[in-house]
Formats: sequence, structure tokens, C-alpha cells
Amino acid sequence: MTMTAERQMELTLPMVPDIEIAAARAAGNLARELGMSSERIDEMAHAIIEACINAREHSGCADQRIYLRFVGTFQGDSNPRIDVWITDHGRGFDLSEARTRRQKLGPAYKRGRGIQLMEAHMDEVEIITSVDGTTVHMVKYEKKS
Amino acid sequence: MTEEMRVAVDRRPAGAILHTKGYINNVGGEEIANRAYELMDDGVRTLLLNLKETKIVNSIGISILIEIIEKMIEKGGKISFCCLTPVIHKTFQIMGLANYATIYDSEEAALKDLGFAA
Repeated sequence: MTMTAERQMELTLPMVPDIEIAAARAAGNLARELGMSSERIDEMAHAIIEACINAREHSGCADQRIYLRFVGTFQGDSNPRIDVWITDHGRGFDLSEARTRRQKLGPAYKRGRGIQLMEAHMDEVEIITSVDGTTVHMVKYEKKS
Repeated sequence: MTEEMRVAVDRRPAGAILHTKGYINNVGGEEIANRAYELMDDGVRTLLLNLKETKIVNSIGISILIEIIEKMIEKGGKISFCCLTPVIHKTFQIMGLANYATIYDSEEAALKDLGFAA
């Protein structure tokens, strides 16, 4: 299996309302250049939106910035792959508590489903979180092997 | 960059249709809720949300939609959706919204099933 770097993009965005749309559009443009289908791009866009909202709403970071990196490659002959890293320099969070919360039912648990949506819309999701900040690494393929 | 939510209300004898246009986030969700609660206060118990012109939703917006559904169920009414993109349809299923509201492929199918067309 060969992976060739085709496209890269790095963005630093302010934590202002609706900035997640700018992030999703930038990744979508890169994915479109690589030939990814619109439905796969839409799924990736919704996952990026949730990751950016989590950073904006919950990170509590002092610099009020979201750091994004998108890398587009091909796996095999014609299978676009987009890697997305979304980083904040906030206080981190308890990942196991967040995963437990979504299993519960009731009005108090209607919120906080962003991680679940990210995992449903992307092919791979890895979350690294500590008191120094959080990085969400997500991967989207055109065709998952 | 901001996709401001616009909601058009179409009152019918059997209920009402809300046509949304734009991003369903916290602001967009509240805009839909305001229109929906006005209609409920006015006695509407069958409400169809046509999301044909909405391409993006987020989890905060969906949580507001769930609150609208719950309020309508409390009043003995029903909320349905139509014309969702595949990703929004999938998102609604993940968030559990599809358990409490019927989702139709087209407005025509919804109106027929909900008795609007009669």
C-alpha cells in the first residue's frame, strides 16, 4: 500500500461563532481536488464541525485559537484519503466520562454527542487530550478497505 | 461565512410546514424553535419541517430540535421532517431524533401521509 502526499493545508482560526464552517469548507475544497465524492465530503464536514465546536465550547484555552491541519493523499491508485488534525491549547477533558455520558438517556444527555457524531461520520478517530490541550485526528477515505 | 437561518411558515388547515434555509446551529435551532412554539401556541399540532435548503446541522442545533419534538409530544401533537440530505438523515438517526419523528423522502409523501393534501 502506497501513500503519496498530494495536498496539505494548515490553518489557525479564531474561536468565533460559525468558524467551524470555514474549517469544514477548507477541508472540503481539498477533498474535492482529490476527487472525493460529495457525500463523503459532507460526512467529513459534519465531523470537523463537531470537533471545532467542542474546541470552541469546552477547551477553555487562553489563546482562543483552533489549529487545523489537513493532508490529502491517495491510498492505492484512486482512493483519496484525508487526514485531519484539530488542536486546541485548552485544559483537556475526561474522554472516558464523555464516552460514558453518551450511553445514558434523558434530557441532561441531549448535549455532548459530538464525539459520537465524529466517530460515525469518519473512518478513523483518535483523540489525544491532556491538561495541555486536545488534538483530534480523524481520517476519511473515499473507499474504506 | 455565516449561514443565517431563514424559516418560512406555510400554514395549512391540517397543520403547518416550516421551510428552513441555512445552518441549524444554536442560533438556527432557536429560530426554528421560536416559529414552532408560536405555531403550537396557536393550536397547531401537526408540524412538518422541510429541510431541503439546509445542508449543515450540528449537535447543538439537533438538541434544540429534540426539545421542540418533546414539547410537541407533550401537547399531543406530532413533528415530521422531509427532504434531508443523506448526511443529515444519518446524523438524525445517530442522535436518536428519528425515534421520535417520522422522516419522509419528499414533501409530497409527507403531506399525503399527514393528511395535508386532502
